[in-house]
This record gives sequence, C-alpha cells and structure tokens, in this order.
Amino acid sequence: MSENQPTTTDRATQGKQVPAIVKLAGIAKSFERGKEQVRVLEALDLEVPAGSFEALMGPSGSGKTTLLNLIAGLDRPSAGTISVAGTDIANLGDAPLAKWRAETLGFIFQSYNLMPVLTALENVELPLLLTRLSSKERRRRAETALRIVGLEDRLHHHPRQLSGGQEQRVAIARAIVNDPKILVADEPTGDLDRKSADEVLTLLEKLNREFGKTIFMVTHDPAAAERATVIRRLDKGRLE
Amino acid sequence: MLPISYNIRSLLVRKTTTIATASGIALVVFVFSSVLMLQNGIKRTLGLSGRADNAIVLSKGADAELSSTITTSQLSLLEAKPQLAQAAGGGVLAVEELVVVMTMDKLGTTGVANVQLRGVPIDALAFRPEVRLIAGRAPNPARNEVLVGKAIRGRFRGLTLGQKFALRSNLEMTVVGIFESGGSSFESEVWASLDDLRSAFGRTGLASSVRVRLSSPDALVAFQKSVAEDPQLGFDVLRETEYYEKQSEGLAMFITVLGMVIAVFFSIGAMIGAMITMYGSVASRQREIGTLRALGFSRIGILTSFLAESIFLCAAGGLIGALGSLAMGAIRFSVMNFASWSEIVFTFTPTPGIILGSLAFAAFMGLLGGFFPAVRAARVAPAKAMRG
Repeated sequence: MSENQPTTTDRATQGKQVPAIVKLAGIAKSFERGKEQVRVLEALDLEVPAGSFEALMGPSGSGKTTLLNLIAGLDRPSAGTISVAGTDIANLGDAPLAKWRAETLGFIFQSYNLMPVLTALENVELPLLLTRLSSKERRRRAETALRIVGLEDRLHHHPRQLSGGQEQRVAIARAIVNDPKILVADEPTGDLDRKSADEVLTLLEKLNREFGKTIFMVTHDPAAAERATVIRRLDKGRLE
Repeated sequence: MLPISYNIRSLLVRKTTTIATASGIALVVFVFSSVLMLQNGIKRTLGLSGRADNAIVLSKGADAELSSTITTSQLSLLEAKPQLAQAAGGGVLAVEELVVVMTMDKLGTTGVANVQLRGVPIDALAFRPEVRLIAGRAPNPARNEVLVGKAIRGRFRGLTLGQKFALRSNLEMTVVGIFESGGSSFESEVWASLDDLRSAFGRTGLASSVRVRLSSPDALVAFQKSVAEDPQLGFDVLRETEYYEKQSEGLAMFITVLGMVIAVFFSIGAMIGAMITMYGSVASRQREIGTLRALGFSRIGILTSFLAESIFLCAAGGLIGALGSLAMGAIRFSVMNFASWSEIVFTFTPTPGIILGSLAFAAFMGLLGGFFPAVRAARVAPAKAMRG
C-alpha cells in the first residue's frame, strides 16, 4: 500500500504513531455516462490517522466529493476496500450501512441541509431519533450540542430565521450530537462570507483539538485548508 | 422514526396543494359517508317498523302487503293458533290491515307521488304501543278522519293537521292527528279507518295483511309450520322484522350501489390527486431526503415517513368530509320505495362505525395514493445530500 504524503506537517499526530481511522486501498470509481465509462478515481490509497483534521483540495471535477462520499458510505467503490473506524464499509448492505453512518459519522454540508420545517433544536435532535434515548435525554444532548456551537439562544428558531453562519453552526451541532468518531465536511464554508467562514473553521478546529474529533474536509478555499493539520490534493482522480 | 410533526409541517409548507388534495379526499369521504348514512337510515326506518315477536301473514306468494289479499273469513282460523299471545282483555293480539297507494300532489314541486294508505282497526294503537299521537286527536270511527305520519306531514297537498284531501270523488278525508312511531316507515303513511278504506276502495271483506303477536319470538317457527300445514289457510308467514328487512333490501341496495359507484370513481380521482401531490413533494425534497438518508435513516424509515404523510393528508381530508356528512343528518330525504311503490322519507343516520369506516377509507386512499411516491422517496440516494 502506498502512503500519500500530506503537504503540511501533521500537528495532531506529530511525534506519535496514531492508527488510521480511515483506510482506502486500491479504490477505483467510475460512472456510466451514456455508453461511456467515466473514471473518476483510480488506484487510490489513503490513510487518515485518528484525531487528524485533514483538508482535501483539488480542481472541480477532480473527484473530491466522490472520494468524500465513499469515505462517508454514501456511495460504493467500483473496486478496492474502504475501512472506516474499523468497519469494512464497501461490503455492507444498505440497512447496516445506514446504521453505521448514524453511529459513526457526522456530516457537515456546503448548503447546511437543515430541515426547513424543524427548529434548530429539532434539527440537531434528528440523528438521536435513531437511538433508544428518551425524548428528555435527546433534548438535553441537542441543547448541549447547540451550546457548544454557541447557539443556546437560538434553540427554537427555524433555519429561515438564522444567518448562513448560524445555520452552518446548527448543522455542526447536528453532526456532533451523537458523538461520532469522524466528521466529514463538504465545502463547509462554501456558502459563507469570510467572517462566518472563520467562525465555522474555528469551531471545527475546536472540535478537533478539544474534543478529539477526526475531521475530513473537502474545500476549494485555501484559507479554509490552512486551518487543517493536513492538506491533501486530488487531481484527475489521483492523490498527489 | 421521523416525528409526524415533521410531515405535518412539511404539508403546511405546501398549503395550496395540501388544501386542494385534502378537499378532494373530503369530497369523496363526504359522498362515501353520506351513502352509508342513507343506507343505514333506510334500514333503520324500515327495520324499526318491525318487532321480533310480531308475525305478518300475507297471501301465498305475495312479497309485500300491496300485492297480498286475505279474506277476513279465514281470520278466525288464524287466531285460534296456540302460538299467539293472549290480550289482557281476552282473545289474541292481532290486527288486520288494508294497504293501498294513492297519488297525491307533492308540495314544493309540480310533481305527484304515491302515498301509502293503511286501513287500521280501531284498536291499532293498542297493537302498536310505539305509535303515539304528537298533534291533534285520535280519529272517530265512520267520520272519514285520518292520522298522518309525521315524516310526510306537510309534504303533500292536504296532509296537514286540519286539512282535507279527496280519497275519491265525493269522499273527503280530514286529517285530525299526526303520529310518530320512533322513526319507522309508518311515519310515511296515512292511517285511515279500516272500514272507511274498504268501502272507498271496494275491498269489503278483504285485508292486505294480518299481524299477530306471538307468545314469544321463538314461537314463530311453530306458528309458520302450523299455518303451512293447515289446508284451509293459503298464507305465508314471516317475522315482521324479516319482512321489513326484505322490504329495505332493494332500495338500500340501489342507493348503496349507486353511491358506491360514484364514491369509487371519485376516490380514483382523489387518489391520483394525492399521488401527484406526494410525487411533487418527493421531487422538491430530494436533498432533504438525501440528508436524512445520510444521517442514517433507513429506506424503510423514509418509506414509512412518506406513507404516514400521505395517510395523514388524506385522513385530515377524510375528517373534514366525515364531519361535513354529519350535517346531512338534518336533511330529510324522500324516495320511492320499490317494495311499496310509495314515497318514503328517510334521514341520513350516522353511526360511530360509519364515521370510523369513512376515516379508514380516507386513510386507505392515503396509503394507496402515497405508496409509489413513498417508494420513490425511499430510493433517493443518500449522495443526493451532497450538492444534490
């Protein structure tokens, strides 16, 4: 297995041997476009150490989101193996994969993806509906998550009543409420102004440093990538 | 499980389509529930006319009083049967009655309709204690006086307290009283003296039917057997409740089939409406659904959620329709009873079962209409959450 070299020093793991939480080996992914096979990823190997904050950059169409989808169990590879948090997810069935996502991952999307009809508190509570927690405990945990992201005074606001930055912080609260092992973020600052983007990135740094969350972030934004401990680059389906 | 409040709020976001779909369902359930209420009203009206311990005796082969003719000379043979209840003052409880129909002018329209006239003996009210005068007085014998059932009071020319109508030329009858009988079909009849009616229609010595009170409801079979085995009596004997059940069958079936055919066609349209609404909802919520899938909600969880949304939408419409149909209870509906060829007045009679059944029907439409859109929702790939 070939090791991809990060382009910055890995601060989180410096001097220590940390086991990889994400392991991809020989990954290929192609799509059918009409009669044509489009190869998006080819012979890709990747290891992400636990507790790291990694940014994945690359030009449009380079396969960043495809790679993120594979790591997050939202899509399946055409070839290769994917192990995340000790589970070989490439061969999981649909229902076990959904359960695995609920227990293992937290998602942060570019467009926040909050349910417009639910309040901030209800949005954050969503992943907990898949657990056996009591409604009181669910509520307590959702309130705690919103407090961590600094939105304890916006519990009953609907997404339309929040700014973009606040919406993304609600989405981050939703991502961390079930205490996942890894957070995957797809252009988390893509729809935000600089100030809001900085606040969100500071929050992600805090989650990585203080709460030990592994973060794998796809971004176009060099300023966002700079906040990560590792920056990887993808071009034409291959990690550089 | 996603909370139902998520689905309800999602429906409220799309107010116009939600209201339009729910209205369609409401209309279907209104028709469905009204038909069942009318069917129940018919059965109740005719069912209330009979008692389990009464037997009705008709001439052999007659399926209704109107087509039955009994010679009164045979009555003593009938009354001697041991299965009959004894009256307090001696003798048996039995009444012979003559039934005819007469065409009368309907009020409020330009048309005419048949009204059933029943010639009853003086002691008819003693045989039917459930019949009671609510206005006026009892008729005097041989004075050409009649009683009118409260259901047809004022619906025909001359059938109002104090008014007169011509039974035939030179024979006017005066309405001296109005009676009720607990909502039974008797309330759609005019009751005259048996002798007056016989004389007016040239039926001296004849009756349409004889009703007898049995010593107990169980005595019917023995009474039927005894009458059938008597070579001097060419009669058919039926329990009075069964007789009225048969009388209601044709009309109830006609109303039910007609109503159900309408309801079925309406429901197909309403279900397609619900389906289009739900397909639209799924199409506009692809990213939402993808996000839920990404968060870990299973396909079956999404399917259930969208089915619940469709069922809730239709049940809400159904509730409105069912409540609307309750208002039909205030309407009196007159229709020709094929069994007696006369006008009979019914009410829309609701029961908890009809209302619950109507709601279940609405929910079923929601289930059927929402199924394919829910399947489509369940098939949304979780990757749709990403920039979808």
